Amino acid sequence: MSNDPNFTGAGGPTTEELVFDAKEAQRRRKPSTMQRVGDHMKREWQLYVMLVPTILWLVIFLYKPMYGLQIAFKDYSIFRGVANSPWIGLEHFQTLFGNDQFIRALRNTIIISFYGLIFGFPMPILLALMFNEILKQTFKKTAQTIVYLPHFVSSVIIAGIVITAFSPSAGIVNTFLGALGVDPIYFLTKPEWFRPIFVGTGIWQEAGFQSIVYLAAIAGVSPTLYESAVVDGASRWQMMWKITLPSILPTIIIMLIIRIGNMLEVSFEMIILLYQPATYETADVVNTFIYRQGIQGGQYDLAAAAGLFNAVVAFVLVMTANAISKRYSRTSLW
Amino acid sequence: MRTLKLAAAAILGTTALTAPALAEGHLPIVDEPLELTIHMHWARAQGYGPGGDTSKIYPVEEVAREKTNVHLIDKTSGRNSTDQSEAMNLLLATGNLPDIVGGAKIKQPVNEYGPQGAFQPLNELVDEHAPNIKAWFDEHPDIWKAIQAFDGNVYYIPYLPDGKYARAWFVRQDWLDALGLEQPDNVDELHDVLVAFRDQDPNGNGEKDEIPFFVRDWEEVLRLLNLWDARSTGADVYHQFYIKDGKVVHPYAQEAYRDGLANIADWYAEGLIDAEVFTRGSSARDYLLGENLGGMTHDWFASTSGYNIALADKVDGFNFIPFLPPKSVSGQRIEENRRIPMKPDGWAISFSNEHPVETIKYFDYWFSEEGALLANFGVEGKTWDMVDGEPVYKDEVLNSGQPVNSQMYLEGAQVYRGYPQDYRYEWQWTRDSARKGIELYDTQDLLVEQFLGVAFNEDEQTVFDKYYPSIETYMLERQQAWILGTGDIQEDWDDYVAALNKMGYEDVLEVMNSAYERQYGG
Repeated sequence: MSNDPNFTGAGGPTTEELVFDAKEAQRRRKPSTMQRVGDHMKREWQLYVMLVPTILWLVIFLYKPMYGLQIAFKDYSIFRGVANSPWIGLEHFQTLFGNDQFIRALRNTIIISFYGLIFGFPMPILLALMFNEILKQTFKKTAQTIVYLPHFVSSVIIAGIVITAFSPSAGIVNTFLGALGVDPIYFLTKPEWFRPIFVGTGIWQEAGFQSIVYLAAIAGVSPTLYESAVVDGASRWQMMWKITLPSILPTIIIMLIIRIGNMLEVSFEMIILLYQPATYETADVVNTFIYRQGIQGGQYDLAAAAGLFNAVVAFVLVMTANAISKRYSRTSLW
Repeated sequence: MRTLKLAAAAILGTTALTAPALAEGHLPIVDEPLELTIHMHWARAQGYGPGGDTSKIYPVEEVAREKTNVHLIDKTSGRNSTDQSEAMNLLLATGNLPDIVGGAKIKQPVNEYGPQGAFQPLNELVDEHAPNIKAWFDEHPDIWKAIQAFDGNVYYIPYLPDGKYARAWFVRQDWLDALGLEQPDNVDELHDVLVAFRDQDPNGNGEKDEIPFFVRDWEEVLRLLNLWDARSTGADVYHQFYIKDGKVVHPYAQEAYRDGLANIADWYAEGLIDAEVFTRGSSARDYLLGENLGGMTHDWFASTSGYNIALADKVDGFNFIPFLPPKSVSGQRIEENRRIPMKPDGWAISFSNEHPVETIKYFDYWFSEEGALLANFGVEGKTWDMVDGEPVYKDEVLNSGQPVNSQMYLEGAQVYRGYPQDYRYEWQWTRDSARKGIELYDTQDLLVEQFLGVAFNEDEQTVFDKYYPSIETYMLERQQAWILGTGDIQEDWDDYVAALNKMGYEDVLEVMNSAYERQYGG
């Protein structure tokens, strides 16, 4: 054997030439990615045009503002601007984690979100399954409308309703308790009551509207499955358990992953409307902390640091949830 | 530094140019009309025009244009928001400032960004070109100090409210009469009256539904602290620092506060204070007075006395009148709440303004006798006439059915430009019952010094921002808990003070006092 790698022992093409030819042939048969995308765009251009507004929205409202994230590492002055404010490294993060109230807010956020997940997540699924079992159309439509309604009411109004309902003198809750011989409770100043009231209000407000997604998923289940189940003599309960639920499971899992990604985004406007210094202990979440300390106090850089931390945690959560789901249920966001 | 130079250059330049026409106080300010752009964002109008409608021109502005030849042209940022701080931040973030930046809540941003070069220092301009402004502040040197930034410069000309009193103690005199009681003169008598309101059915409906002491803003409950010689705040907003023996301290870290709050907690537990005080909110006064349930409150003179007319037909014999603040345990009688003599509102000259001298002369116009009348009462002959040397509103203004202030806002008077307010404006439409109350309060020396705030330098600001928001959160948390009976302040006090110190209370006091020394000392 010669040391020359191109030595073929005859005058024919070298190995390299052969490989090159083969690749060329393949390339001619299979167009490049660019080419394929180009062809696709030409063929389906309407779809791409429809995509444009969403991409613009993403760029303008989500990607461009990321430029400003750097103020989390800067001593930001509005007048000097983002670019001209001096860098200060991780000082804002040190300030945050040196603050007991931030740690408490973080803990409250996680607890409130967790309650929301445990009690709030199954509710719309249950509602959707229940709506699906209602046979009388008028009743079904009316019931649906009634449970959707709170979603369209402003948080300020909802908070007003909650404050009135739980009022110790005139509230319906205390009137009811009074009938049972219980002394009136000033619910909204009791730290131990804040989370149940907040989570309950959230469920009441949103469960109906969120059930729409599951209703749509249920509508997509093939009727033939139910027909054959009926022929086999399955009960409604069995059909729900063996057909409906497994069929909408992918939707449930996608919604769960999205929900986990938003876990730290507690609807803080509602908390601001409902909390009191007396209930900060259980009610103060990261976003209300940011609001008080950062926005009201004008410390935008500190607020940006807290927000960035929030986003990083959310990112980790959603990646983890997605990975777990992919592994065990073969359903995933990507 | 860039603006200091720029401003100095501008001053030198324009002084040279206008020097021949510099006969002070002469109008018009400029021979040829001069257009200046303005940001004017405040509660009643987001923009320089009636109700924020910048396509129209205030009648007051028309007169001012005629007199001064300076034309203000609206260039307000954030007009779709009613939040002044938000609008100001938006304006600053664009970096493109109009000639004049005015409106509500400008003190903090102007004093923070002025030294960074966003606004021109006014000290020399005022000295050289604004005799009326200078004369006013020569009479009120403390207010001149109070509006300074940390670098010792003044960057804005404030709106200067007139009049002394804000809130007062009100009681249902008809309830006192029905129970055969006198107005309470000290803290013990006050307690007895509230107990009588609670137990003796003054509204006569046979039910024990009276709420002896109620407030609209729960923080007003803290005024009761004054009865035990403690303070609830040092300024016209809640929870502020105050001056004690020449030092800045926080009221909620004083021993008198411990004892005062312990008593408030007792009164709350006894049912003398509205049980729902923390969530009742702004409708408390309407509801509790309208339903004939509330007996006593601490609230604004003008609006609270209005209920005597509003409820005359609804509640039989309704008579809700101001009474003197009860004497404290040590025999002191104070009314802690008063009007602050200078607001964080007004106007400033931005770095990009090329006519600072003309602008300060224009600002000065509103401090002249003629300008101040225009700023307070509107256009002479249209809304008011001079009668025996006094400005008197026309009958159609006083009896139009609209509050006089709302009418003035549309005329372009009482707008938050930098100007000295004239109490004669408000007195003319103050109701008799409130006037009597004000006259009653005037018989005593009730008012206490206000803490007008300090301007931090950057280092002090950093310390304050780092510690104070958490400290205040903690103070309020504990405060509410103690009032509600979760924990006993006397037992918890040492731990509370230790916690405050751990959170940096001493550091905050240190920067507060160093800033205070620099600004007001000597």
